[in-house]
Amino acid sequence: MADKLQIALYWGAACGGCDVSVLDTNEFILDVAAVADIRLWPIAVDGKYKDLEAMEDGELDLAIFNGAVRNSENEHIAKLLRRKSKLMLAYGACAYMGGIPGLANLTTREKIFETAYLKNPSIEWGNGVVPQPESGINGKTIDLPRFYRRVYRLSSVVDVDYFLPGCPPQPDQVKGALLAVVKGELPPKGSVVGAFEHALCEDCPRTKNEKKIKQFYRPWQVACDPDTCLLEQGVLCAGVATRSGCGVRCPKSGIPCRGCYGPAAGVVDQGAKLASAIASIVDSKDPEEIEGILAGLPDFISFAYRYGVPASLLQRSYRQ
Amino acid sequence: MSFEPKIVGFLCNWCSYTGADLAGTSRIHYAPNVRIIRVMCTARIDPTFVLKALTDGADGVLICGCHPGDCHYSEGNYKMMRRYPLLKSILAEFGIEPARVRLEWVSASEGQRFADIVNDMTQRVRELGPSPVRTALVQDMAER
Amino acid sequence: MEEHKIGVYVCMCGTNIAKMVDCDDVVRTASEQPGVVCAKTYKYMCSNPGQEMIVADIKEQGLDRVVVAACSPRMHEPTFRKALQTAGINPYFLEMANIREQCSWVHDDRQVATEKARALTLGATRRVANHQPLERMSVEMCPDVLVIGGGVCGLTAALELADGGNRVHLVERASTLGGNVARVDLTAPYLDSARDLMTALVTRVEEHKKVDVLTRSQVSSLEGFVGNFVATVETIWGDSASVSQFKVGNVIVATGYKEFDASRVTHYGYGKLPNVITSFEFEKMLRAGRVQTKEGKLPQYVAIIHCVGSRSKEFHTYCSRVCCMTALKYAQEVKSAVPSCYVSDVYIDMHAFGKGHEDFYRRGSEAKTLFLMYGKNDHPVIRKAGPGDDCEMLIEVNEKLSGEVIEIPADLVILMVGMEAREDSEAVARLVNISRDKDGWFIESHPKLDPVATTTDGIYIAGACAAPKDIPDSVAQARAAAGRILARTIRGVIDIDAVFAEVTEDKCSGCRVCNELCPYSAITYDADKKKSSVISALCKACGACVAGCPSGAIAARHFTDAQIFAQIEGVLA
Repeated sequence: MADKLQIALYWGAACGGCDVSVLDTNEFILDVAAVADIRLWPIAVDGKYKDLEAMEDGELDLAIFNGAVRNSENEHIAKLLRRKSKLMLAYGACAYMGGIPGLANLTTREKIFETAYLKNPSIEWGNGVVPQPESGINGKTIDLPRFYRRVYRLSSVVDVDYFLPGCPPQPDQVKGALLAVVKGELPPKGSVVGAFEHALCEDCPRTKNEKKIKQFYRPWQVACDPDTCLLEQGVLCAGVATRSGCGVRCPKSGIPCRGCYGPAAGVVDQGAKLASAIASIVDSKDPEEIEGILAGLPDFISFAYRYGVPASLLQRSYRQ
Repeated sequence: MSFEPKIVGFLCNWCSYTGADLAGTSRIHYAPNVRIIRVMCTARIDPTFVLKALTDGADGVLICGCHPGDCHYSEGNYKMMRRYPLLKSILAEFGIEPARVRLEWVSASEGQRFADIVNDMTQRVRELGPSPVRTALVQDMAER
Repeated sequence: MEEHKIGVYVCMCGTNIAKMVDCDDVVRTASEQPGVVCAKTYKYMCSNPGQEMIVADIKEQGLDRVVVAACSPRMHEPTFRKALQTAGINPYFLEMANIREQCSWVHDDRQVATEKARALTLGATRRVANHQPLERMSVEMCPDVLVIGGGVCGLTAALELADGGNRVHLVERASTLGGNVARVDLTAPYLDSARDLMTALVTRVEEHKKVDVLTRSQVSSLEGFVGNFVATVETIWGDSASVSQFKVGNVIVATGYKEFDASRVTHYGYGKLPNVITSFEFEKMLRAGRVQTKEGKLPQYVAIIHCVGSRSKEFHTYCSRVCCMTALKYAQEVKSAVPSCYVSDVYIDMHAFGKGHEDFYRRGSEAKTLFLMYGKNDHPVIRKAGPGDDCEMLIEVNEKLSGEVIEIPADLVILMVGMEAREDSEAVARLVNISRDKDGWFIESHPKLDPVATTTDGIYIAGACAAPKDIPDSVAQARAAAGRILARTIRGVIDIDAVFAEVTEDKCSGCRVCNELCPYSAITYDADKKKSSVISALCKACGACVAGCPSGAIAARHFTDAQIFAQIEGVLA
């Protein structure tokens, strides 16, 4: 048992897609199983928390954590995995940057509960109950994980060794990352693995010309030329500010990049850079005209920070 | 002790920074709350700077550039003019009150105007109180 | 993080700073900062002893970064940079904190001013730790010059440059040199012969060994950048064409103007009424020595109408500058050719702004010319006179000064047509990479402080192509542009400021967001490599591309993200 790699995979606030992406490596997963013991993987194997708790510190070689940290359970297991594992990999956009769950940071816990549990057309019997961290039933106490005021990325709660971006990470990249661990060929701590350093445009086959925008369009408003840069055609594509490595799947399929691999290497705040780049190519010097052109960008924040609100400088909304 | 805001000011070298210097040589007094950072042109100002200032403890951010048409680099202030609305919309969604981040055009000869802007902005930010950023992040930590 | 040895110097500036800022306190706070090995105050940092102290400390203590908290860097940054250079370290290892103009002189509470001075100094200290060594570079400058346009302006510039020892390539579209002034008889206000003026100029140019004249030619392309342009010129005569190519270091655009088409102003009947002519048509008459109507008769009544196509909501809102004096000139010339003739001058305002103009105006009014003022956009109307009238045409003027509607007779009407941007001005602008304003005139670097340079380094504009102008101003600009170029070519090299933007090729994804952001055309895109890069010789370091780059692939030397972030942290600490 000691000869095989000891690994654990876990999901925090997640959709399951990252776990599926590991399975999407198809037969490769069997190669992994041949060299590694998967000690915990809720979606796939039958391990329990008590098994994790029983391990020695550092017994695991690698913990792969996908999903964001939304509640106390996520944090607890993240911390536990950190203790029990030599290496911690933040897997996927949610662990790396907060991901889609991170958009919840633009609202409040109260509003979320209100929509989910109180004021909602699909609520049949509303007795006004929201999840309680602690409640009693039949003389016993049941506790639920505490729902935090905001979402965190993994590195905000534990020390992370490597980051593998993507929503989800692409199978080839996953294979590469896992192989690197198997072979012991590890990059410097803190590296982003399974992706390149540069932005998507370098790998995108569409031709790029001068960028001057007089009008922005929603993707459904315009039939785009398949061979030309989408942004130039007025469609918001985050590719300019997004790290490459995904194989440019979205623009190749005719839809604009959504930014799920996070910012290019060295960029501190992806949304700020997107705002700067998009605004810079607006072709006007007249304040009114500029306003008009930018009005064609409804809900800009969801474009700019779709996957990265918790990873941004401001991290969350401060509305009272 | 009443709250005194800390405001970071990004001023362009050719117009607004010179205008601020003129306020100095003219001995025009104004509120001491703005800490000025010099850039060559407002075109250099990445929205990231504004967000960083707010995250690092600024209660407000003031950006000053040349009047449109007067930019030393021809069109730099137009780039700022284009970025600013998007920055403001992002700040609004992040719940940062609009009066905390402000863009003004100040020419090299407008020392008094610079002083007036600083006084006005300081007053408005003082009324808003400390930036919600630091306190909120501390509260978040406390519940974990 | 690199370790540094930072020296912090807080100037008292006599009492200018010390009166309001506790300099010792600022020194004490500074000395507690990581990396600060030396912190002191001094009465006058910019003085020789002050600078020598910094130099000595650098040498003895091995300081590698220096902060001077004192007056505005706009005042003494060069002074202290020189001190660092003297001490043997890179001059860009300096950062100043402005605690005088932006602190001690503008606040009245010592405690608060000191606190601010501490914050500003801390900002400078954190920033300077991130400073990189920078060197100024020089590139060779080709001394040859291209002058586009062979009118009075282009000719003057060519001579000035050629006399200065530079080879000039003068490219003129028409078959002869001389431009619009060659079509003029006498010039206002001194009534010199334009013919003599131009003949002298053209002859000197054609005979000058250092000037290559290419008539019937157009510049078809201009590649490269300041100091290193390559111009391609096409010459066409008859059926044949030839192409020539040459290197130049700088370009002067002196393409002039074209006159407004008077037929557009229908109420003046130009093109319909035979004796309504334009100013240039009248010049032709004057050059032939004959002032007469189309029918060959001496006119009894001549009317001159100002502002045809100018100062009008309908056509051009601007003033064409030369027409008022030219109109007065015509009044005098008509009177001297046909002394019995009655001359009416129909104007909106009399623009007599220049040297000798007011005197000329007075002389004109003494020569018994009838002056009638009309309101802008309330133009006179010309109609054919009836059989009972003793004149060809009648002009109805809503005369402003009298408030009456006056009808004047005219056998000959001279329309003072305004100046317009040439039809090819858009093509020329694109060719040399400069911009045009809403009226089509080329835009200068700064309307007050830099009228002949443009935002594209190495391209100068002179004369009427930049805005309506008379001969004195065109010639002045021609000499100004030539002078600017001579000052550069004397050095033989062009200095590139050490502060510019640069693209890290590996980080560039070829997205081209930056390409349109540069007002100096300093950003190029390599279609093979699929990467953008900055031509440092052209970069003015405004930072537009740096902030716009979504990959953070462009860095602004001396204004990097790291430096500014550090400064933000410092001023808020």
